[in-house]
Order: sequence, then C-alpha cells, then structure tokens
Amino acid sequence: MKFFPTFFLGLLTFASMRAAYPQQPTGAGLDPAVLLHPTPNSWPTYNGDYSGRRFSTLSKINDKNVKSLSLAWLYQLPNMGDGMVRRLAGTPVVVNGVIYITVPDHVWAIDARTSRPLWHYEWASKGGIHLGNRGVGVSGNSLYFETPDCNLVALNLADGTKRWSKSICDLDQMYYASVAPLVIKNHVITGVSGDDLDRPGFLEAHDPETGVLQWRWSVVPKPGEPGSETWPNADAMAHGGGMTWISPTYDPELNLLYVGTGNPQPVIAGSGRDGANLYTESIVALHADSGKMAWYFQPSPHDTHDWDAVQTPVLFDGEMEGKPRKLLAQASRNGWFFVLDRETGKNYVSSEFVKTNWTKGVDAKGQPIPNTAKEPQIAGVLVAPDASGGVNWAPSTFSPPTGLFYINATQSYSMFYITDDSDKPEGWGGHESGHFSQAMLQALDYRTGKIKWSHKWETQGGGSGLLSTAGNLVFAGDPNNNLVALDATTGKPLWHANLSTAMANGPITYELDGHQYLLVGAGDKLFSFVMN
Amino acid sequence: MRLTRLSILLTASLVSLAALGQAPSTQLPEGAHRETVQRACSGCHSVQMFTGRRMTGPQWGTTVTSMIGRGAKITDDEFDQIVGYLATTFPLNSKAGTDTATTKQAKAPRKPSLIDQAGSNDKQVIDEDAAARGRTVYIAQCITCHGTHARGGSRGADLLRSVLVLHDRYGSTIGPYLAQGHPKAKPVELTKEQVVDLSHFLHQQIGDTLRTGPRPMLNILVGDSKAGKLYFEGAGGCARCHSVTGDLAHIASKYDPTTLQQKVVFPENRAITKQGTASRQHGALTVTVTPPSEAPVSGEISNIDDFNVSLRDPSGRYFSFTRSPDLKVEKHNPYAAHETLLDTYTDKDIHDVVSYLETLQ
Repeated sequence: MKFFPTFFLGLLTFASMRAAYPQQPTGAGLDPAVLLHPTPNSWPTYNGDYSGRRFSTLSKINDKNVKSLSLAWLYQLPNMGDGMVRRLAGTPVVVNGVIYITVPDHVWAIDARTSRPLWHYEWASKGGIHLGNRGVGVSGNSLYFETPDCNLVALNLADGTKRWSKSICDLDQMYYASVAPLVIKNHVITGVSGDDLDRPGFLEAHDPETGVLQWRWSVVPKPGEPGSETWPNADAMAHGGGMTWISPTYDPELNLLYVGTGNPQPVIAGSGRDGANLYTESIVALHADSGKMAWYFQPSPHDTHDWDAVQTPVLFDGEMEGKPRKLLAQASRNGWFFVLDRETGKNYVSSEFVKTNWTKGVDAKGQPIPNTAKEPQIAGVLVAPDASGGVNWAPSTFSPPTGLFYINATQSYSMFYITDDSDKPEGWGGHESGHFSQAMLQALDYRTGKIKWSHKWETQGGGSGLLSTAGNLVFAGDPNNNLVALDATTGKPLWHANLSTAMANGPITYELDGHQYLLVGAGDKLFSFVMN
Repeated sequence: MRLTRLSILLTASLVSLAALGQAPSTQLPEGAHRETVQRACSGCHSVQMFTGRRMTGPQWGTTVTSMIGRGAKITDDEFDQIVGYLATTFPLNSKAGTDTATTKQAKAPRKPSLIDQAGSNDKQVIDEDAAARGRTVYIAQCITCHGTHARGGSRGADLLRSVLVLHDRYGSTIGPYLAQGHPKAKPVELTKEQVVDLSHFLHQQIGDTLRTGPRPMLNILVGDSKAGKLYFEGAGGCARCHSVTGDLAHIASKYDPTTLQQKVVFPENRAITKQGTASRQHGALTVTVTPPSEAPVSGEISNIDDFNVSLRDPSGRYFSFTRSPDLKVEKHNPYAAHETLLDTYTDKDIHDVVSYLETLQ
C-alpha cells in the first residue's frame, strides 16, 4: 500500500477538493487507500479519519445559517421483541451513501438518503456485557465489528452476510468486546473491554481477509520486561488490567498507532499493586506492523479511581516552542489535558481542564504525581473528579481553524471507599459514593492548555461526544437531551433540538448530493438533519 | 436565546416522534413500580446492570442518587418508588457482607452468582445449599494452602483467578484436575458430589468478587468528635445554618454513619433513613423567573437548560418559558455553602464532623 506523507496537509485541502471526489454506487465498498484521505461525502471510521479530531472541513452548515437546520428523517431501531430497550452508543460510519450503525450483537445498513434499512445482521450471543457497541470498521467489501461475547465478526458490506468470525477474548475470564475496529493497511485493530475480574488488557491486529492474529500487544508487561519494575510481583502483573476500550488513532507517515489504556486492576483497592502499574492508564505509541511499543506517557500512575486513560489520542500538527511539531493531545478522564510530541512522546502541556485534588504536581516527564492521601480509604476520601471523571469515553474534538480543543467536561466530587480490607483485595475492593457535579463545555488553547471559553450547562449530568466543523461550529449534547450547536470561537449557543433522550457518542457530518447532513444517535433513534 | 418558529416546530415534532414505542421490558421481576424502574433506568443501560446486586435500602438509595448525578431524570416520588422496588426485589440478604470461609452460610434464595452480564450465558447457576456444603469441603481439604478466601497464598494458587476454575462448570474441569492427583504429595480424594459442591462454592466466591457482588461498608467513624464539634461551630461554619438541638437533633438515630457522612458532603443527594424513608428534596432547588414587564414567578425547578425554563409554584401551578435576553432567571441553591466546602475542607474535617454528628443519638 502506498503512503502519503502529505496526509495531514491533505486533510486541510479538502475544501478545494470537495467537488472533485468521485461518486460511487450506493453501498459500494471502500478502497482502503481512501482511509488515508477520507472524502467529505463519507465518515468511514469511528473518528471519521485516522487523526481522531472529529473535525469536518464542511461549512455549508455554519454559524450564520445553523438556525435553519431541519430534520431530514428520524430512524428508530426496530423492536426486536425481546423487551430490551437499545441505545446507540457508537459512532455511525458512512460510506457511499449508506450508514452503518450498531448496538450490541446487531448491525444495520441504512440508506443515507431515505433512512430505509438495507440489511440487518444479528449475532447469536453466548453472553457478555451488552452495555454498548462503539460501531464498525469498513475496508474493501468488508465490515468489521466486535460482539459482547468476545468475537470479531466480518460481514459482506453489500448484504450483511457473514464472512467469518474470530474469538478475540475469553468470556469466562469476564472480558467482553465493544470497540469499533480500526482498519489500517492490512490490519484490523481490535481492543477488549471488561472491568469485573482482574485480567490483563491487550490490543490486537488481525488479517482483514481471514481474521488470523497478526500481533498482540499486552498492556501489562511480563516479569523482566520493561515496565515490570512498576509492579510488585508477577501475580499482580498477570492480573493488572488496562483494557483497550476505545479505537486507536493512527499516523500513516510515522506508521504509529496511538492507544489509551484503561485502569489497573484491582480497580479501587490498589494495596496489592504498589508502583506505577505500567502500561495501564497510559497513552502508548505502537509500531503498526509489529505492535512493538515506540513510547508511552502515563496520565494516571497507580490509579485507584477508575480513571481509564482511554480517551481518544487526537493527532494534529501545530507549533510548540517556536517550531512546527507533530502533536498528540488527550483530555484524560482524570481531569488533565496533555499535549505530547507524537514522534517521541515528549510532553509539552499538562494542565487541568477541570478542578482536581488528587495530584502533587507533575514529574519531570509531565505526568501527574498522585497524592497518596487521596487514594480510597475505609472511612472515605473526597476526590475530584469522581470516577466518571472530568470526561468519560465520549470523544472530544479539535478544530484546526480555531486552534481550540473542546471537551464536554464535568467538574465533580465523590467519596471513595475501600470495602475490602483483606490482605489480598480482588475485583474492585471498593467504590465511590455520592456526587456533586457541574457539566460544562470547555474550549482549550492547545498551546497552553488554558481555557479560552467555558460554557456551563444548567444542570448536572453526563456529556455527549463532540464534533467541530469549518463552519465555526461545535455540536454537543447537553445534560437535558438537547443537541446544541455553539459558536466555536465564542461558545455562544446558536441552535438546539431536544432529542428526548441523551446522546451518547458524538454527532457526525457528511455531504450527500450537494447537501451537508448532521447525523446523531440518541437512545434508540438516529436523527438526520440537513441544510436545504 | 430566541428561537425561530422553525426550530420550535421542529423541536415539538421531534418530541412527539420520539415518544413512539419504547418496548416494556420483560427482564425485571414483578413488583410495585417495576415500570418506573424500567423507564428511568433503561434509557442509559440494560436493567441487567443491577439485577444481580443485593443491597440495603440506604445503599440502593445511594446508588440511585449516584445515577441522578450522572443525568438520570427522576422525581421525588419516582425516587421513592425506584428505591422501594430495588430494596424489596433485590434486598441484602444475611449472606452478603460476610465474606470469610468460616461464616455460616445463610439459605436465602439467590440469583446466579456470576451476576450481571459479565461472563458467559452458560455460566454456572449457583446452588446455595451445594455451595454451603462445598464450603465445608473447602475448609477441610483446601483452605490450608489456598487461603481463607480461596485467593491463594505462598503454598497454593489463587482459585478465584484460576482460568481452570473460570472455565469449570459443575466440576467439569476441577474434577479431572483433582483426579490426576492434587496436591502431588498427598492427593485429596473427593466424591463426585463433593467436587460439584466445591465447584458451587468457588463460583459463588468468584461472583462475590465481581463489582456487582456485595459491598459491605466498613467502619467510617474514625474522626475525632471533639475536633468535629470545634469545626462545626467554627471553621466549618455549620452552625450558621444548623443547630444540634434543632434541625440536627437526634440526626444519628435517623441515618447510619455512612449515610450521615454522605448527607454532610453531598446534601443535595437523596438519602434513605434507618427507618427506610427517603429524605425529600422537594423544592430544594428553586428559580425565580421574571418576564419583561410582568410579575416574577418562583418555584421548584422542573427543567432548566440554555433554551427553556419551567417551574412549579408553591400552589402547584406549572409555568414554562422560552429563555431570551429579556427574561430574567435567578436560580436559588440552598446547598451553595456545602458546595463551597467541597473545595476547602479536608478529609479529616469530614471524618471529625461525622464523628461529632454521630454523638447526636
């Protein structure tokens, strides 16, 4: 496969290319090379492109006309007759006029023009947690998704018939699978989920044609390997956690994959795992063809608050210390914002995006130093943020034109308790209880981490994922089920629609037949808005 | 912000469309207010998320409050209904909270112990009687090497994290393993029935280790009550609003220590008393709305966001407004002082104050 060193520059030139992208037949497959240069008539991966920015160059919907946005159609997931109310928690993928959406065990292909379902695939489940599925990966004539019972499934894109499936984890060990697979080159990258029993996390690459395992990167090291010095013993390591809950991002030029890893285990009671617990709670760069680690940065050393550092590592180029740099930014669940050099892992910015009380500053690498007094205690300890974090898994967005990184954040407090004071706690061994929270949309200057503007939502509650566009807009879900468009430069709300159910993941946008569409899932409904 | 006619129409049409069919679930056991639980909880997650848990009323109250903090929209009445349903349907039985192998096993009926949805659909269904017999087998044959909690030790493996045990169903892997002779020096000899009993016991212990297992609260009364009294009357500023002979008289007989601590730190969260009733939040957060050249209206907030505000006044009348620059909206938060404290007090302050309040029996 050919590489394009100008990939990131190429993204910026979309505006001039817009009229030029070729029109493929509805439902046609996706040339894997297109994943390097996604066209604005598609949203072909979980994040829309490999960079994870969730920024669209489209501007037909903009700050001047967004009040005229209207509903094109509303699609409600069919009632499967089993009494389950389902929730769209993934990001839709759009390729050649067809939308692909998922809930656990189910995939639908929907005509983007009419919302007419083209096919539906149901996986016969053997179990696992059915909390949410993050969506599909598409390459060539295949579609890939993960199932709660630990399978990677490949379907024919055209009709939803099954090509093959591969087991990627062990249900009996309480793993499950929910990640949207990411296709890069000839690899399908899969992650695993689960936070119930103390098991090690891992990231894998599979052959797109056969599903055969190509490589596996284990989040926690084995005795003697680098990182093992941050664990007390082999047993703690072998049960150390670090799930890979969210799709990685990818820099084709450096050929590096970037993945955030989950919390160490046991989750709350950390007395049996003294040390930093690498490479849990880390942002890790892996060589895409081997799975070998290039560098790491650890947002939450020795975490005891369930603060997975799995938030999308967002890639963009910018200026630091007077020079152009290849950057990576993450708004992490622990309430901190980090900007790193994505070639080397060197830290440029570490700053709070909401108030936190668990650190004693940062170390020489820019990593927060946890205050041991804020580890959970039997009698309770007051910690900011709560276990849901300053931001949870829902994606943030970065807009190159404004230079702002947007986070649908929560300023919060909770009490953390140890409930297992035995000499060998397992599982969680404790929990948080009680909340104070304030939901707010934060816009940060990536060069400094300073908050350029902050829009406080009126009530507490969870925040959705975000989308920013070249129309000077940020789209967000508020805690009251509103889809809101805000001025990306000032934070002023410009338009809203109440969707009656909270959005979970982020909105997406694409162009079809000369019109720009905004697509958002809320509960069991998919809303398509259009600028006519 | 002012709304265009189009977006008002759009919003209205969305609501009516969105109200279409949310299928009632057949997943929850029968019980009063099951539908309320279904509606309030299943918007964000499946009900199987909690049907494996066993907790007391106050613990369920804390959990539901936590969900409100995460965005669940639940009224006072619904809160009582939901906590009532959960505490009745999924009560803490006498088994939970005692996790040592030497504790006598209660015979309360119990759902499969590998609870929640974690794990396989064909996971072992725990027979409580068999697990109790298995405990006896464990104590007699295994405890010396594998430890009180079956979590291993210097002489034996951790059986709860053992992949062999996790793959076991009713003795299917444990039996053949033991039959090979284990431990080698002096192999145990178990009957077929004893192997099955042991399997039930081990799977029961694994289930209790999962995050949906029992969560016993330990002693949180570690503070200095004298220091707490000083803080209450001095730096904490508690006495400015509260009185230990007035609103807080006998407060410790009303709430258990953990709930009392939660009441101090997060008073806006609802709590359940020792007697099993919920504290009322009714009318706590209020708003005064003044339309241009009209009289202000005040009352409990029904809903407030950037675009609309609605309230119910003391007589029960409902008001709804579209927000605009000339509509004056003032929120009143009686907990503002408590929220300020979150940024200032230490964990010792919290522990001391709770120990002091605990003296108010």
